Amino acid sequence: MNPITLLIIYFTILMGPMITMFGSNLFTMWIGLEMNLLALIPLMMSNSNPRSTEAATKYFLTQATASMILLMSIIMNFKQLGLWTFQPETSSFIMTMSFISLAIKLGLAPFHSWLPEVTQGIELKVGLVLLTWQKIAPLSILSQFYELMDSKMLISSAIASVLIGAWNGLNQTQVRKIMAYSSIAHMGWMISILPYNPSLTTLNLLIYIIMTIPMFLVFHAHSFTSITSMSLMWNKMPMAIPMISLILLSTGGLPPLTGFLPKWAIITELLKNNNLILATLMAMTALINLFFYTRLIYSTSLTTFPTNNNSNMYIQHTHTKTNNILPPLMILSTMLLPLSPLLL
Amino acid sequence: MTELIYFLSLLICTGCLGTSLKPSPIYGGLCLIVSGCSGCLAVLGLGGSFLGLMVFLIYLGGMMVVFGYTTAMSAEEYPETWVSSWLVLGTLVMSIFMGVGMLFVSNYYEGVEMVLEFNSLGGWVVYDGDELGLMGEGGAGVAALYSCSAWLMVVSGWTLFMGVFIIIEITRGN
Repeated sequence: MNPITLLIIYFTILMGPMITMFGSNLFTMWIGLEMNLLALIPLMMSNSNPRSTEAATKYFLTQATASMILLMSIIMNFKQLGLWTFQPETSSFIMTMSFISLAIKLGLAPFHSWLPEVTQGIELKVGLVLLTWQKIAPLSILSQFYELMDSKMLISSAIASVLIGAWNGLNQTQVRKIMAYSSIAHMGWMISILPYNPSLTTLNLLIYIIMTIPMFLVFHAHSFTSITSMSLMWNKMPMAIPMISLILLSTGGLPPLTGFLPKWAIITELLKNNNLILATLMAMTALINLFFYTRLIYSTSLTTFPTNNNSNMYIQHTHTKTNNILPPLMILSTMLLPLSPLLL
Repeated sequence: MTELIYFLSLLICTGCLGTSLKPSPIYGGLCLIVSGCSGCLAVLGLGGSFLGLMVFLIYLGGMMVVFGYTTAMSAEEYPETWVSSWLVLGTLVMSIFMGVGMLFVSNYYEGVEMVLEFNSLGGWVVYDGDELGLMGEGGAGVAALYSCSAWLMVVSGWTLFMGVFIIIEITRGN
């Protein structure tokens, strides 16, 4: 794409959640969400095959519906209260509508169906933006109005997200869909703690983004899009094998890696609020997530499939895609646990 | 006045219904014109003179005319109409029947409850408020866009620009 076009689009994608986060007026926040949505569409269609067009269409339709529901809840709230923020006097119908629209935007169950298909249809770089940057703006709105949302609704959505992310991710061989279901499960963890302690939601989001970016960067380096293509990583990028193994284990929530920190903090906070069953359920479904990450590690590092002797040794070629930010993110996503008193 | 706004609201809903049932873009544009006109008249009736006239001029008189011309240029010879297939006709009749039927049933009985409870028309009808506020809200709002909320002007302008830019970028092809 033309560099100036790309610059304008990236600028708008950057500005959208900024405007949402810095806005005190719900209408301004909505404008930021819309800017974000619009600017991502041409990025999704940057390789113009029918799959990407279909993914962009699905993304646009679902997100536009969510924006309209959110706008309706904002305007109904304004008609009722005369204010452009949600107040404790806002009716629960309006809060439910706004939560539903933000759940559609985030890809929370039961509104998760668009996320795997859209992630699968677009290229890896755009999938990265979709799964990380696009979560910031709706979660910032949710964190502002967390005490006004019905906690039963939030918890049901969290349970559904965690279960769906775990079970639907089991059957996937395509790496982008695995990351999409991983995103759904992580969103479930984030929403489950929202009625109790929203700063843990922010912590979980931050650590999730820190873990997802290096995964996508490694996948993007040689276009590893399925588990079978990842089994050739010993040939193409052997340095990434321990990296991807540790980052995947960290995403699964294994101590002593960083990914354990949000899960630990969330379970502690849930138990402090006498939410025993939810904590147990979420810990058990996190194991299912860990299983399919371990399957990726098995394919990548623990086995080498037989090849003939004439195969190219790609490690002797120079890499065309440089990954300057990969080592710092790798360290952040595996070694941050001793810093947890600073982060909690 | 109340009945006028009520009728115009019904017309907006019917127009939106007809747009979403678009058999061909020409009829979709026609229903958008109906919907836009009645929305305009509703805003005008409730006192927003500046904004109502703005919608008439710019939206209907500018954008809809351009849309009409472009769809006329790409018109097909036998466009699908509302009565050309049983599916479209059935959807149209069923939606009008359900909408009007809900009003009649709620009038006759105490209320209707499907997903939400619909008790009376009280929440849905706008009663005539005070004539004009302390200031004309429409004109003062637009004036504020240029003075104290200039940032909103910048953001809105940028978003509108991005809308057009993205559409052109998507339809460019390569």
